[in-house]
Amino acid sequence: MKSAAATIALLCVAVTVDAQVRPVSPRDSAARADSIARADSIALVRELEALQRTEEDTTVPPPMTPGPPTVSSRLLPDISAIGDVVGDFSPSGSTIEGGRRFEIREVELALGAAVDPFFRADFILGISDLEGIAVEEAYVTALALPWQLLAKVGRFHMPIGKQNTTHRPELQTVEYPHVIQRFLGPEGGKGTGLWFSRIFAPFGFYQELQATVVDHLGEAEEGEELEATEPSNKRIGGLGYSARLRNYWDLSESANLEVSASGATSRRTQPILCAGAPACPGVEGIPGINARQSLIGADVTFRWRPLQRGLYKSFILQGEYMRQLNESDPPVPAEFGVATEFVGPRRNVSGAYVFTRYQLTRRTHLGGRFDWIGEDDSGDAGSLRAASAYLQFFPSEFSKLVASYERLMPGGGGDRVNRILLQMTFAVGPHRPHPF
Amino acid sequence: MLRALAIALAISVAAAVPADAQASRTSKKLFVVTTTTDLHDIAHAVGGNRIDAIHISEGYQDPHFVEAKPSFILRLRKADVFAYVGLDLEVGWMSLLVDGARNSKIRPGGSGNLDVSRVIPVLDQARGKVDRSQGDVHPLGNPHYWLDAGNGRRIARLFRDRFSRLDPGGAAVYAENTRQFEARLSAAERAWAPLLARIKGKPVVAWHTSWKYLAQYTGMNIIGFMEPKPGVPPSPAHLTGLIGTIRRTGAKVIVMEPFYDRKMADFVAARSGAKVLILPPSVGGVRAVRDYIGLLRYDIEQLANAL
Repeated sequence: MKSAAATIALLCVAVTVDAQVRPVSPRDSAARADSIARADSIALVRELEALQRTEEDTTVPPPMTPGPPTVSSRLLPDISAIGDVVGDFSPSGSTIEGGRRFEIREVELALGAAVDPFFRADFILGISDLEGIAVEEAYVTALALPWQLLAKVGRFHMPIGKQNTTHRPELQTVEYPHVIQRFLGPEGGKGTGLWFSRIFAPFGFYQELQATVVDHLGEAEEGEELEATEPSNKRIGGLGYSARLRNYWDLSESANLEVSASGATSRRTQPILCAGAPACPGVEGIPGINARQSLIGADVTFRWRPLQRGLYKSFILQGEYMRQLNESDPPVPAEFGVATEFVGPRRNVSGAYVFTRYQLTRRTHLGGRFDWIGEDDSGDAGSLRAASAYLQFFPSEFSKLVASYERLMPGGGGDRVNRILLQMTFAVGPHRPHPF
Repeated sequence: MLRALAIALAISVAAAVPADAQASRTSKKLFVVTTTTDLHDIAHAVGGNRIDAIHISEGYQDPHFVEAKPSFILRLRKADVFAYVGLDLEVGWMSLLVDGARNSKIRPGGSGNLDVSRVIPVLDQARGKVDRSQGDVHPLGNPHYWLDAGNGRRIARLFRDRFSRLDPGGAAVYAENTRQFEARLSAAERAWAPLLARIKGKPVVAWHTSWKYLAQYTGMNIIGFMEPKPGVPPSPAHLTGLIGTIRRTGAKVIVMEPFYDRKMADFVAARSGAKVLILPPSVGGVRAVRDYIGLLRYDIEQLANAL
């Protein structure tokens, strides 16, 4: 046994030493020659190599690192992280989730790389004190489909509305608009399933159709603890479906307009009462039934950025409207043997926001937003309204400070709330594309 | 409402199919998309009437900060060749366009994906630890290489070879066009050689590191930058030090691109006795500069006159 172990150890050492000192093998040389043969301008590449050799021989100082990156390190995925810290200085107490005055709202860890010539994989993990580690997004993108199709498989931000497709730390405001928080969740709506997209231009301008099929709408069902008599996804019709049609026009070299429409539908578990109580015979959790809930909406974005002065001046005007359509009277099963009552949302609810942002200097932007959500079934007598202003300062492309004031006016005679939020986001890792 | 939305989507998709079919290119010209005007002009010089070429950024625009407009995606989806500067110059927007275009020809590894930097002897390649404390650095090297006539030749030959591979029937034309381009460039170099003699060794200040290749080509000596670190706007303390450097070295010129705010350069110039010289870094950066050779000629003439 000992001799076998010693043999293995010797072999390992031999292999390691061999790997360290082994000269370029004929096979490697052949691969390299083949690679060069495939390259453009072989003479140019060789000329460049000769130049580099000359430089290294004469002028270039020795590298500070032990040597060039190894093949394995070059195959590592892009790794980046974004920190999102929020401070709440509201006079009437903290208004952010968890009730803290300072909160590391989220650390977003992103990894991405090509899987092979046909797929690219992206993983985005959200880490927070409140939720622990959550898979924000994890999908593989099929890049080699016919008919100019693009497809994703996994978890992704649902293409519903404009701002929902942007990650929260990359928003131009501290939080999502209220209508998105209400209808899709405070962290935006996500789904796990299939995502398809096709672009076309039958009328001479850019159009893109995005469609998804997901297990259910949202990252996790709103009333996850609800227990329905059957899973909402038991039938194919109970899955989540969405479609979005984007239309884009260049108005000039500096201005452009995007007008889009979205729709989504799914069956979601909603609460019921048995004999007036939130408990039914034979149900361990809170009883619920599946009811259809749909969402339709439209959004408009106008952007202006003069090309020559684009580092210093820009303007965005954006608006979104959404309407949530609720099944008003879903059939309640009679199997409980007692009187049951559906207490989920019955009425349709609308919401909207208008957002604008103007760039004051290279690093400073001033913005404002007005939110509105119509009356719902909560018993409130009125609708929610909110007006907010933002001052953004970008020390660099990789860090952002935001000061925000919001006047929140809940419906139904609720107390008006003044919210003062400060946010800092900071990113490390490779340069990510600027959201558009 | 949902039904109406579904019908509208269905009509759009149905309308798209025949229109896309009509839109398929009937000519056999190579369709070349470049990220910058400089690559566009050289591609056009090499390709002649055998290619159709367009560019994404404009010469008076900072190529680091181009918006990834969906209209660019429409152009890229039919491209046979997508030529880009590389070295992360377009890192903030290019991947959105290439991914969005769904064109396998222009994806990395595709026959039309052309990273022009691969044939360039690159300056400022990072060695040792690289992080953002050094500013918005390009770890792979300085990407503003087209402002060196030698690199212009390399770019032309690269286009010649790629176009010849994709369109073998035009190889002779591409070779002849490249030869003519290089002849024109050589003639221009002979003409501006006396100007280079006036520039060589003269101290200048530059806003960004984008002028290093022109400095290498002309021999001008960049003794400082307005930006304390790449992509970082100047601080008062940095400017104070820079004013002292200019006075000490006798630098006469602060060179900058047309897309930067010149207020701070004017501030430094007023206190140091230097002159602000706005030079186009790319074709189309000013109206007078309409091609690649004209760009080099204009910049060299302006520098020689100012120095």
